[in-house]
Amino acid sequence: MSTPILRLEHVTKRFRGLVATNDVSFAVPEGSICSLIGPNGAGKSTIFNLVTGYLAPSEGHIFFGKTRIDGTPTTQLARAGIARCFQIAKPFADLSVRENVRIGALFGRDGARDIAAVTDDALALTGLSDLAGRPAGDMTVGYLRRLELARAIAARPVLLLADEPCAGLNATETEDIVTILRLVRDRGVSVLLVEHDMQAVMRVSDQIFVLDAGALIAAGPPEAIAGDPRVIAAYLGTEAVE
Amino acid sequence: MSIVLLIVAAAVPFMVMPFYVRVGQLILLSAALGLAWTLLGGFAGYWSFGHAAFIGLGAFSAGLFETELMKGQPLLGFGLGLIVGGVVCALAAAVVAWPILRLRGIYFAVAMLGVSQVLAELTNNVDVFKGSMGLVLPRIAAFGLRPEALFYDVLLIATVVVGCIAFAIKNGRIGAGLMAIREDEDTARMLGVPTERYKIMMFILSAALTGALGVIYAHSLGYITTSSVYRTEFSLNMIVYNLLGGMGTLVGPFLGSAVMVILTQVVLGRLLSIHMFITGALLVLLVLAAPKGIIGLFKGGLFGGRAKG
Ligand SMILES: Nc1ncnc2c1ncn2[C@@H]1O[C@H](COP(=O)(O)OP(=O)(O)OP(=O)(O)O)[C@@H](O)[C@H]1O
Ligand SMILES: [Mg+2]
Repeated sequence: MSTPILRLEHVTKRFRGLVATNDVSFAVPEGSICSLIGPNGAGKSTIFNLVTGYLAPSEGHIFFGKTRIDGTPTTQLARAGIARCFQIAKPFADLSVRENVRIGALFGRDGARDIAAVTDDALALTGLSDLAGRPAGDMTVGYLRRLELARAIAARPVLLLADEPCAGLNATETEDIVTILRLVRDRGVSVLLVEHDMQAVMRVSDQIFVLDAGALIAAGPPEAIAGDPRVIAAYLGTEAVE
Repeated sequence: MSIVLLIVAAAVPFMVMPFYVRVGQLILLSAALGLAWTLLGGFAGYWSFGHAAFIGLGAFSAGLFETELMKGQPLLGFGLGLIVGGVVCALAAAVVAWPILRLRGIYFAVAMLGVSQVLAELTNNVDVFKGSMGLVLPRIAAFGLRPEALFYDVLLIATVVVGCIAFAIKNGRIGAGLMAIREDEDTARMLGVPTERYKIMMFILSAALTGALGVIYAHSLGYITTSSVYRTEFSLNMIVYNLLGGMGTLVGPFLGSAVMVILTQVVLGRLLSIHMFITGALLVLLVLAAPKGIIGLFKGGLFGGRAKG
């Protein structure tokens, strides 16, 4: 097996008394889509914050490829090829859609590129080409999610972290996002997804990691996760019963 | 086209009454100060409430340098003084940048106010700085120009230089990065914008330019004390020009300073007793009517700027 693109080793994060992440270890194989699931407050966003350098782990280590990255500043990680879509979409509201995406192209991962071409490509991939001139502040939730993805794609990541990109979207919009994530993966980008929409997660994921109260309680391909009694108890419980 | 405009602008002091030359000087100085401030304040959203610190520091460091080390060479002294003032301010900014730029929003603004107060007190109370006694600057004369005409043209050049720097920054990659910082710093970092480096660079550049402008201002006064250069009013005005003209834009400082200076010096100049009151009231009205500044009026119409919140 080749080196995974992302690996967490016994990562623990405490906020004063609260253990938000408890001895979590998992690995995202290169070129895959993996999902991190779990009930509200399970610690999913905290893991994203740890991987993207907004937080440093209390214990344990994080590796991006072969490089240890826990505690590395966010900017540096972005330049190394980690991009992230936030759970709460944060567009630059005063700028146009295109200008938003262009900032991803101007910065993002180090290396030569054609700014205009990268911007256009990211807009096209996310179906935003026709809205490029609109102010980002005027967009509906569905399009804001795409914009968030477009900006991250324009940053030319090696690893894309998407925090609930389908939250608040209807079935068609969710389908569009899933399609975009697959297209991104097909280009060789590894994806780590946090998502509550189980349908989407089951269809799109190569591997699923289940968190509950900060701890990893299960990991495996979708079929295995769907049938895992611990997962059903912790997370799928209500849905499985109905 | 712009060359012709510049030549006309440079010739203005030879064609109008001295009073209007001084008004012109003030507009240019104000615009240049507004531009220097906006490199960090308008572009990156880090509003300094204490940029007068750099006017004072620039003025006094150059003043001491010129009077102590450049005796008998006023013109060369002035030229080098500009550099000394700029470099001293750049160094001072570099020293405080690291701690102070970790503060966001109002905390940064207030911290800068503090920096300004500390520097003013030091200048005033440490005798070698001659802040309380005052400092007489060497008179400079060149090309047989009257002093007000000379300083007008010096300020014109300075404004063009600061304007070009601001233009280059705003339209470059760094300008896009600064805009991202202003809109959402956490997102900017995640997109790979070197937020710390950019903020520090802009802070230092803004301080250096403000310092050099302080040197010119000091020379135009001829005699400076702590209270004539470390003026809180300067700090506030730099913000006001930008707010009034259009925050984060390049024309904003020009429009804002022109409106403010003409209003306070020309229109209300004779109503001295109530002039501050009227100025204040007009400012409130303008900011309410045009939340994105005068430039925003052309783009969005009255009361249109903040409708989306
Ligand atoms: N900066 C912080 N300081 C203190 N506590 C925090 C911080 N960030 C997260 N927490 C706590 O850590 C726990 C995990 O939060 P986290 O946001 O990671 O959950 P999540 O799995 O993303 O939940 P959701 O599905 O609601 O987004 C929560 O109890 C939260 O209150
Ligand atoms: Mg979350």
